[in-house]
This record gives sequence, C-alpha cells and structure tokens, in this order.
Amino acid sequence: MVPVTLAKSLVEICGRDGVILDEERLLVYESDALTAYRHRPGAVVLPRSTDQVQGAVRAIAEHGLPIVPRGAGTGLSGGAVALDGAVVIGTARMNRILDIDAPNRRAVLQPGVINAELSVAAGAHGLYYAPDPSSQTACTIGGNVAENSGGPHCLKYGVTSRYVTGLAVVLADGSMVRLGGQGRESPGYDLVGLFVGSEGCFGIATEIEVGLLPVPEGVCTLLGIFDRIDDAGQAVSDIVGAGLLPAALEIIDGPTIRAVEDSVFAAGYPIDAEAALVIEFDGMEAGLEHDAERAAALCALAGAREVRTARDEDERMALWKGRKKAFGAMGRIAPDLLVQDATVPRTTLPSILRGISDIGQRYDLVVANVFHAGDGNLHPNILFDRRDEHELERVERASKEIMQLCVDSGGTITGEHGVGLDKKHHMDLIYGPDELDAMWQVRRVFDPGGVMNPGKVLPEDTGPAEGAGLPEGIGGD
Amino acid sequence: MIDAGVARAGDAEGPAVVYPASVEEAAEVIRAANRTGTRLIPAGLGSWLGAGGWTGPADVIVSCERLNAVQHYEPADLTMTAGAGLGMAELDDVLRPNGQWLPVDAPGVGAGTVGGMVACGVSGALQGRYGAVRDNVLGVDVVTGAGRVLRIGGRVVKNVAGYDLVRLFTGSRGSLGIITSVSVRLFPRPEADVTLCYGGGTTEIVALARTMCTSPLPIAAVEVEAGGENGETVMVRLLGSVGEVEEVLSRLVDSVGPKPRAIVRGDESAALHRDRGAWEEGSALVVRLAALPDRLADTFGRGAALAGALGGEIAADAMSGVVRVKASPDAGRDGDVVRELSRAREEMEAAGGTMTLSQARGEVAARVGWTGGRGSDGGLGTRIKELFDPASILAARCP
Repeated sequence: MVPVTLAKSLVEICGRDGVILDEERLLVYESDALTAYRHRPGAVVLPRSTDQVQGAVRAIAEHGLPIVPRGAGTGLSGGAVALDGAVVIGTARMNRILDIDAPNRRAVLQPGVINAELSVAAGAHGLYYAPDPSSQTACTIGGNVAENSGGPHCLKYGVTSRYVTGLAVVLADGSMVRLGGQGRESPGYDLVGLFVGSEGCFGIATEIEVGLLPVPEGVCTLLGIFDRIDDAGQAVSDIVGAGLLPAALEIIDGPTIRAVEDSVFAAGYPIDAEAALVIEFDGMEAGLEHDAERAAALCALAGAREVRTARDEDERMALWKGRKKAFGAMGRIAPDLLVQDATVPRTTLPSILRGISDIGQRYDLVVANVFHAGDGNLHPNILFDRRDEHELERVERASKEIMQLCVDSGGTITGEHGVGLDKKHHMDLIYGPDELDAMWQVRRVFDPGGVMNPGKVLPEDTGPAEGAGLPEGIGGD
Repeated sequence: MIDAGVARAGDAEGPAVVYPASVEEAAEVIRAANRTGTRLIPAGLGSWLGAGGWTGPADVIVSCERLNAVQHYEPADLTMTAGAGLGMAELDDVLRPNGQWLPVDAPGVGAGTVGGMVACGVSGALQGRYGAVRDNVLGVDVVTGAGRVLRIGGRVVKNVAGYDLVRLFTGSRGSLGIITSVSVRLFPRPEADVTLCYGGGTTEIVALARTMCTSPLPIAAVEVEAGGENGETVMVRLLGSVGEVEEVLSRLVDSVGPKPRAIVRGDESAALHRDRGAWEEGSALVVRLAALPDRLADTFGRGAALAGALGGEIAADAMSGVVRVKASPDAGRDGDVVRELSRAREEMEAAGGTMTLSQARGEVAARVGWTGGRGSDGGLGTRIKELFDPASILAARCP
C-alpha cells in the first residue's frame, strides 16, 4: 500500500479509473511474463498523457518511492517487477498512434501502442514496422524501446534501436526532454540510441518516433527437416556463407517439435525429426525463387531429409505455426519454464548446442531449443517444476553454466530479452568493474536519485557506495 | 614507452603526434595528458581532423595508425573486429575475397579508418538500406578522457546486455574517449550493382528524386548533385540479386517519366559511388543540412543558396533528407562565411531541421558551433561529456 496522501494525489492527476490500489487487482501486476519473480506493487498508475506521467512521477518521487515503468508486461527478464513497494506507471492507456507520416516513412506514437497494431495501421500506406518480437500481438512499442526488442526478422532488418529516431522522455525529476526526432539525422550524442534498451532505468518514453519500411512485394518460406541438429546448424552457416540474406532463419529442435506436435498447436512437423529450420526470404518476386532454390539446395547438401516450400499464405502460416507456438506448447508439458537468451557467433552454433545438451543431461533437466539461428540468438528453455526445490537449484546452476558456455564462445548473456532482475548477477560474466561502473554513472546522469526501476540491470555490489553522492567522472588516477 | 611513437605534424611548430601501439599505451597517453593538462585530438589517419574536438590549437594528436590489426574475422559470422587504425580500403581488401562488405558510404570514409568512421558516425546514402553507422557497430574498446579502458558491446549481432554505451561513443567525435578497437556487422556483397543516372533542371531532378524515394521498389540509395562538373544529376542505385535488380531496373525505366541519361553496371557503378564518397576530400569546409525527406526541395534550395554564397557544390542523400554543401577554398572572409553559416542554421532549425558542420577550421567552428542549439536534452549531453572527460582533455564541450 502507498501512503493515503500519495494515493489521493495520483487520483487527482490520473482520475479514479487511472489508479489501482486494490490488493487483488494489484496481483495482475506482480510479475511480467517471467513468472519466477513476483512482487506486488504499492500501486499502479495508468496515465493518458505526458502531462499525467510527469505529474505522477513528481508525486511518487515526493513520497520517496521507486517507480517501475511497464508496457504490456510481456517481458522475459523480470524488468517490470515492482520491488520494495514501488509504484508501477503503466502505459496501457497511452495507446494512440499520433501520426503516420507516409511520405517520410515514419510514425509518431504513444508508448502503449501494440507492436502489431502499428503495422496494421501503417499497412494502409503500404508500410510496416519491422521489429517483430514473438509477443507482437500483445507487447507495446514503449516496452520494445525499453528492452531494445528483437524478433525473427531482425536477421535482415535489425532490432528496435535501428528504427527509433526520436523520443520524448519523462525523467525521474518529472522533467521532459526531447531526444532526436524529425528523421534520422540528430546532432550531438546519440542519446536516443543510449536510451533504447535502458530497461526503464533512464526514464519513461511518452512519445516515440519510429521509421517504417515499405511492405515487400513477395515472401517465400521454406521448412527444412533434419535428423541431426548439427546439420541444421551447418545449413544456417552455409546459407549465410553463400551470401544469401534471408529475412528469418529459425531452428526448432526435436524436444520442441514433439511438444508442439503433442499440443493443440500441432503444425505437421515430423515427430522423429531432430530439427526443423524455417527459412524466409522477402523482396521482389523476381529474385525470390532463385534465392529459395539455392537455400533448398544448401539444406539438402547439409543433410536435410525434406525441404517444404510454402505456396501461399495459408501454407506459410502453417510452416511458421510450430515456431510461433513453441512457447505455448512447452507450457503444457512442464509447470515452469526458464527461457535463456544468450547470443553466440553463428559459426559456433553446432558446438554450443551440443554443449547445452550435455549440461542438460548432467543436471538431469529437459532443455528444449527454439531460436533465431541466423543471428546466433539462442533460446534454450529449461523445463521444470518450481515446487521441487532440488530441481530449482539444478535449473539455476545449469542456467548459469549455459550462459558461461555462450560467453566463452565470444557471445553475450542476452540478445533480446534484457537483463532485468533475471540476469543482473550474470553481468560480470561479460563486463568488468570499469564497464559496470561506467554504466552506473551514465544511469545516474539520467536518474541521480536512483528512482527509476531500481534493482534492475546492474548488480548493486558494483555500484557507487550509498550516499556517496554523484561521482566526479569515470576513473582516472 | 610512448617516446617511440612521437612525431611532429607538418612543421616543427605543429602539434606533436603520438602513435600508441596498444590500448594500454593509449591509456598511458591520456593519463599523462590529464596530469599535465595537455589537450589531445584523437585521430585515425587524420582525414577528419577538422571534424570535432578542439576549435583552438591542440597540443598533441593521438594517431591510431599503428592500431591497425584485424583482430578477429570469421567470414560465416559476418562480423569483424579490427584495430581503430585499420584503413577502410584495407578492410575492404580483406572482405572482398569472401564476398562481403561493410556498406558504409559515409562521405570521405574511403580514405579514413574504421575508428574514424565510428567516431564521426556520419552516414552516407546507403543508410536507408543497410542502416546508419551506429546500426552496424557491435562493440568498441575505448580509453575514456579520464584514462579508463572500457570494452563495451561485443562481436555478436544481437546484444542487449547493459546500457548501449556503444551508441554513445559512436558519433561522439572523439569528445568522450579514444576508440582503439571496433567490431562491426558485415553484409554479403550484393550480386548486382546498377546505377541509373538522370539529368535535368533542379526542380525536375529534386521531384524525380522524391518519386524514387517513395517508390515501394527496393531502391538502395538516391543521390542528387548540383554545381559540379557533371551538372545536375540524380543517381538511383540498385543492389541485390541479379533477378531482383534487373526487375527493378526494367520497372523503373518503364514507369518513371524521364529516361535515364546513363545506366552504369557492376564495377563501374561501384566506382561511381566510390568517387562520390571522395567528394568532400580536400575541402576545409563541409556543411550538412538535414530535414525530413519530403522537405527535400526546401533543403536543397537552402543548400543551393549556401553553395552560391560560398562558391561551392551540393550533394544530397534524398532518402534521408540530407543535403551537403562543400565550399570552395576561397569561400570568402571568415566573417562572411560565419554569417552565411549562422543564417543557414537559423533557417534550418526554424523549419524543424538541423545544420551541422562536417569539416571546418577551428575559428569558424568556434563561432558557428559544430551542431547548433539543441537545448532540448535538459543538459544530459553536457553531463555525459563531463563524466567521461572530466578534465576536458579531449574537447571543451559536447559536440
């Protein structure tokens, strides 16, 4: 519960229907899509405008409470969890598309706009928004900005930060700053790029300008079926090595295929296969067939048992179904699921997949892989039951070992899900004290008092000492 | 340790040049500069020395020329890590046999280094298709102005671990630290490279450029130039598979009003754009005007007026709405130049655009300012500058 005076101010600012104080309704906000971390917020505020966000931030700060920005709560790293009775500022009601500027291929949005809805609206102008996280029918653009979200089609088109060209941001003191905007060119430091992926620690984006792309004329989707996952990994390297640039290259492994085929989402993948590789090309119809033929030949050479080609939109959707519904299907066969998100250099995929399988066996855990192979962005899913304490401990140890394995191969601990609560204690696998300290200090530039989303991204023990005040510059001797 | 790499730039009166051979040596140089209050200019080969940092005389140039090794290159990963001093031309020599390239066509970049490209962060006309410089930098090693070595980002194409300091250093014009190593994302070299060249009057070619920019066809870049020896020209570049490029070519020739003056293919097309890239070389004053792409006619007009006043030429990246103006060597007296530049900035900003100096002599830059009034970032940029370069060893203020 928040103090009554704060509750009253928040109601004055956002209206009675814009403030949630009721314990039961607050339960909805106790976690994001990574349900391992649950903390009930002190209150939830749902502003409708930048003014209301500014007012709410000031009121909460006056009461010395921390603030947690939240989009749709589809995040997978515990980033939107409210620790220590923090107040959640949710952007769900800031869901207006303010402008679709077709001649300049850009749009200006409020942060609560749903990712897929932007592409629908832009579609009327022959345009679309490229980053497509798997949760795109639910997740918000504001959340995508905070997490620098990816998606299957980032292989060709890049992640969120490539498309964000301007932001209005409410900072921890309630002031509003404008960064970038009016297209790609923005003088001075790239503060827009710095803000994207800051996981709610720098402020709340209340207005977002993004770039749009013309909808490609044609799309061609292939599905390669493999008896060995190594061969699928090899096909990925061969396709990229041959100079082809598919829009997406996704692998679904044997355990995942069987989970999908066992479920209501059955997509017609052979259940004795050890890997399915979804390959998608887009562009001019004239070039597609040639690319698809080359990719199919490379799959066959790498040992594919079968290569299917989608002839129309229905067939295309069927080929994708097994990939898109994989997470839902796995939810059926185990009560809990821990999704990892490491990225590795793509040539190391075969050895890393073997390594992950070994780790799974060593800890007696089922690990199912479904991932963005073209980017080297893995999603090993560890299936478990949280009620079994011993199993939970094995999950945590296996999880850290998988991350270490990926980092040792030249990779990183998270490719698109973010650090949040989940991986902050693994940041030292990739960064030393100097880098972590630099990140702390940049965070303090945006939020000197540590009000915005505290307890996320950076491990506390690497931070500046409590009460030490603002540090005077990075390092030196 | 540092003595081995010291030389003088130009005559004996010019600033000394230090050539660190490792990131540790570069850190040592910066720490020494902090102790003695020495003003430094980070540099690659020196082709962009007029692009930031001190507007007055600096004491020492820190050249990354010796930090030029290819540190990691696995072609099938489509990434490379190299010392900041590796020349862009040498980089291309390494990539070409593997059918790959780094599609950054920033003005003047061909003669520069990868470190210089990242530090300046300026993008060319291919940015619409392949992303700006900042979209293709995966990681950097830097020595901050305070002398601390930071290894940030990595060499994988997707990485959201921690705050994106890589983007902060990209385009920071040497004002936060010296970049000593860079990891970049590479692309397969396109099978076909074709450029359509159109001529005509200014109004006509600007309108044609806009038509190309709003076409749903996959066009890689649209460039416009005027005032040079080729007269007024639009160049439309197509990159991709042979099938795709030939299809786009035939549809453009069939559907768009005027017929191209020339169609240039393959190596010739690539060479044409390489020459375009060298357009700024040797010019002491280059200005970049930018506004939303649909304001191209206005921006181009503003650029033409400035080019008229400074006796220069103009070139535009139509897809990004960027117009560059290159002044002639005898652009006029400093006072006149400053007045023209200030007026151009005022007009661009009033119209919601920007005007930045890409290259300028210190005295002019000091009076006009590299980037103009932003003022909307609440002082964030200035505080970040103070954080990484607290003693102002690298630059007096944020660019």
